Amino acid sequence: MTERDTALPAIDPALRERMVEGICALLPHVLKREVTGATADTTLMEALGMSSTSGLELILELEERLDLEISVEELGRDDFGTVGTLADYVAGNLLPEA
Amino acid sequence: MTALLAVADHLPPGRVPIEELAGEFGLTSMQVKIFRRYHKLGEVARDPGGSLLDLLRGAVAGLDALRGREQHVRYVLHARTFPTVVPYPHNPVRELCREFGLDRATVFAVGHHACASGLLAIDVAGRLLAADDDPDGLALVLAGEKAFTPEAGMVPDTSFFGEGASACLVAPAGDRDRVLSYAADLRGEFDSDAEEQALEFQRIYSDALAEAILAAVGRAGLTMDAIGVILPHNVNNVAWHQVCRTLGYPRERVVLDNVATAGHVFCADNLVNYRTARERGLLRPGEPYVMAAAGAGRGATFSAMVLQH
Repeated sequence: MTERDTALPAIDPALRERMVEGICALLPHVLKREVTGATADTTLMEALGMSSTSGLELILELEERLDLEISVEELGRDDFGTVGTLADYVAGNLLPEA
Repeated sequence: MTALLAVADHLPPGRVPIEELAGEFGLTSMQVKIFRRYHKLGEVARDPGGSLLDLLRGAVAGLDALRGREQHVRYVLHARTFPTVVPYPHNPVRELCREFGLDRATVFAVGHHACASGLLAIDVAGRLLAADDDPDGLALVLAGEKAFTPEAGMVPDTSFFGEGASACLVAPAGDRDRVLSYAADLRGEFDSDAEEQALEFQRIYSDALAEAILAAVGRAGLTMDAIGVILPHNVNNVAWHQVCRTLGYPRERVVLDNVATAGHVFCADNLVNYRTARERGLLRPGEPYVMAAAGAGRGATFSAMVLQH
């Protein structure tokens, strides 16, 4: 089905925090400008003016930087709401190492 | 009620992996990776050395129902993503008409809805035929273009165009593939090069396309539960997955097979996917289905058509 299970598995808070830090650290690189004071609550499109392509680029960069593999099959627009929602998606959609 | 008497398409055998197009469009390896991994684009159809006439001829040659009915064809419409599809003074559509004996037809192009012009052309053809009140009258709706300029090669951050064509014989009435409804939402505010408008377009894209589908389905007196399959435009998988989330419609029932193997075949996508849906047995007699497309160029258009197989 298209809809994700609403009862998402619990996400390890430490892992999520690591993703928030990783995303914030990559923002200047992906947006190609200085970004200060970004937190989990910062909106990606409205506050940072991020396009959907830069959002996708951010995920790929995150994979490389943190040496992870992220399943993108269920990635949707709502996941690009804030730094925190993107961190939630990433933390909840890590693929086991091959 | 307008009906599609026959549908055919032509995809040339040539394929180019999107990685090979990166240099031509100045894309970074990261951008290409995003196209392949997220958008699920893989290779695009190309007919190097072939002309637009070759593409259109390939599609029309597959329309067996046209043989012996040439004199009934009152209109030939070419649905275009781009206003200019060949260098001046070539006119491949008129040449095609000469080749196929369509010398009684009024020939014209339909555009301004960009990649959604294919659905507009079917609607226009149906309305012209209905107004003529000739039960034997027919219209030939063509789509397909050459990726012959950088603009006609790719949609920035969104898709790559593939070369191919479709041809469809439209009748004022008929038993198969009857057009139940059509909805087109024209959004003139996107006739802008401003960065904010581009972001806004991305933001509303899936919702607006979903709304056009719901509008067409509503006009047909139906709900989404009744829709057996959606024949999309081949822009990319990500956009359609978002439309499915908005509609609560199973993504497995959107025929996205040709996105990775042919690319976005201009206005011909819906009918290329019609053939795929028939091959896969997804179109069942009596069951309604949707063709939908979004177009962006000078402004934006979100369109959907409900048909009954």
